[in-house]
Amino acid sequence: MDKNNNHGLLGLTKHRCILISSDNKFKELLRDIWSEETLEFICYSQARGAIEDIFNNPPDLLIVDNRVTDISASEVARLVKSENVYRQLPVIICLDEKDLSTPWDWNEIEVDDFIVRPFFRPIVRERVNLTLCRAVRALDANPLSKLPGNTSIINKIQTLIDKNQDFALAYCDLDYFKSFNDKYGFSRGDEVLSMTARIIVNTVRSFVGEQTFVGHVGGDDFVVITSPDIVEEACKRIIFSFDGIVPNFYDIEDRKRKSIVSTDRQGVVQTFPLMAISIAVVFNIDGKLKHFGEASAIAMGLKKKAKENPKSNYVLDRRTP
Amino acid sequence: MSDQDLKTSVKGQILSTSDLPTLPSVLDEVTKLVDDPNSSTEQVAKVISQDQVLSAKVLKMVNSPIYGFPGRITTIQHALVLLGLNVIKGIIISTSVFDMIQKAMSGLWEHSLGCALASGAIAKAAGFEDPEEFTVAGLLHDLGKVVTAVQLPELNEAICMTVREKNLCYYDAEKVVLGFGHDRINAWLARHWNLPPNVREAMTYHHHPDRAQFYQQTAAVVHVGDFLVRLFEYGNGGDDQISYFKPAAMKILKLKMKDLEPVMDELSEQFVEISGLTF
Repeated sequence: MDKNNNHGLLGLTKHRCILISSDNKFKELLRDIWSEETLEFICYSQARGAIEDIFNNPPDLLIVDNRVTDISASEVARLVKSENVYRQLPVIICLDEKDLSTPWDWNEIEVDDFIVRPFFRPIVRERVNLTLCRAVRALDANPLSKLPGNTSIINKIQTLIDKNQDFALAYCDLDYFKSFNDKYGFSRGDEVLSMTARIIVNTVRSFVGEQTFVGHVGGDDFVVITSPDIVEEACKRIIFSFDGIVPNFYDIEDRKRKSIVSTDRQGVVQTFPLMAISIAVVFNIDGKLKHFGEASAIAMGLKKKAKENPKSNYVLDRRTP
Repeated sequence: MSDQDLKTSVKGQILSTSDLPTLPSVLDEVTKLVDDPNSSTEQVAKVISQDQVLSAKVLKMVNSPIYGFPGRITTIQHALVLLGLNVIKGIIISTSVFDMIQKAMSGLWEHSLGCALASGAIAKAAGFEDPEEFTVAGLLHDLGKVVTAVQLPELNEAICMTVREKNLCYYDAEKVVLGFGHDRINAWLARHWNLPPNVREAMTYHHHPDRAQFYQQTAAVVHVGDFLVRLFEYGNGGDDQISYFKPAAMKILKLKMKDLEPVMDELSEQFVEISGLTF
């Protein structure tokens, strides 16, 4: 078996890892599993010097050995996890079997995984790989919809642009969501967002065999990336389902009246229609776009057009470059 | 055992129900549809809408807090859009079929489907929007009877015997044996499963629509639907009697008896069409 060529992380760009351990054999084992182009290990035998490095230049992974004596491994983990800037950094703790004689309080020591001596090469490899993959998955998900957020959306769009691949990018957002939220409160607003996310995801997925991506920009803004061939049909289906389902989220009187009435801060009574969904679609065909920023700029322009109509609708960008 | 004790012990058993079986024919049909990548949500929804147990499972799931909007979704079509076909496949895989009691229960399935159709037609005649919501309420109105049969087979046997020996309707026999009827069981289930309030009230008050708090119209539609489907002798609700008809229901719906004539014409055609087709 070729060294450094069967580590299971072949798709991963170079990641930095800080190891705090005085165990040289362990260091060698790690460096032997992954090539430096995949996982670069910066090693410290004591915690003291490592902590400054972690704070100034957070790595993608921290492995800390419980045998380290100057600062305890759990204290190192606590330092990292108690500060929200570093909280997302995955931490693996290395234990000896005797360390496991009594249960650990994992609420107190918020590490992401542990490995136990004697180190068994395949287990070390898979634990580290799994921890890295899990961290990437969890990092950017919207807590409400669990859909990927801005970082993933931008990466996805830029990757497609760089690959010169044709795609349609649909920006969806809700009309009159704010007045709904103001009248009924944020927890009922969240219900509507959960519902919207599910409609979009399931509608897009129902096109069998198509590559699709759905992201949640935040609030009532969602992004769909799909093939230009199906995007118009997807918009129609999303609108049809949204318009059918959204009345269920209003109180019975408002649902009957098909509007909500509320009083603004000036004491003026205002009427708002039921929520609708507006979709602006930008196309990247024959490498028209060079940067994801162009896509969102065009979409924002289209969105204004879509919003002129109080009912759910979609607008396609048919301009040619 | 006093009524109150029975209520407590029975309620626990009722709510712990985890697997209600359904009819094999319906399950086969849905399985085929969800395995075919070309079938649409509408097609799948149509078949599920014919089965009270599958419909109840789907509504229970989509209205559970996991999805983040409990008590909001009334129709099967909407539930499928929100759940996605993967979840539907999971529900179908985890549903078992009736074996021994299948024959005895198929009458109740027909009765429930008949009540669903009748409720939809009555809602239309009364000029209500979204007849599908009334259809679902009609379909689920006797779900408590299914749960009793599955979870409490001995008590169910006692009820059936009372129906035969005392010549009572099923509802009255339930009251003799249990001290309460399937409408009470429906109320427990609907609340436990976070079903939307209109479906919940129809399930709870279909024998007494005037007692419903917010959705008297839904309860009244199902009340009349239950009556009509028994009049047609389509399916079997557990006895061979025609359920007591409350004039208050017609008042709630602002309908005259003669308004039901076109409804009955429509239903007689539909019943001929579906009888022997689904079961």
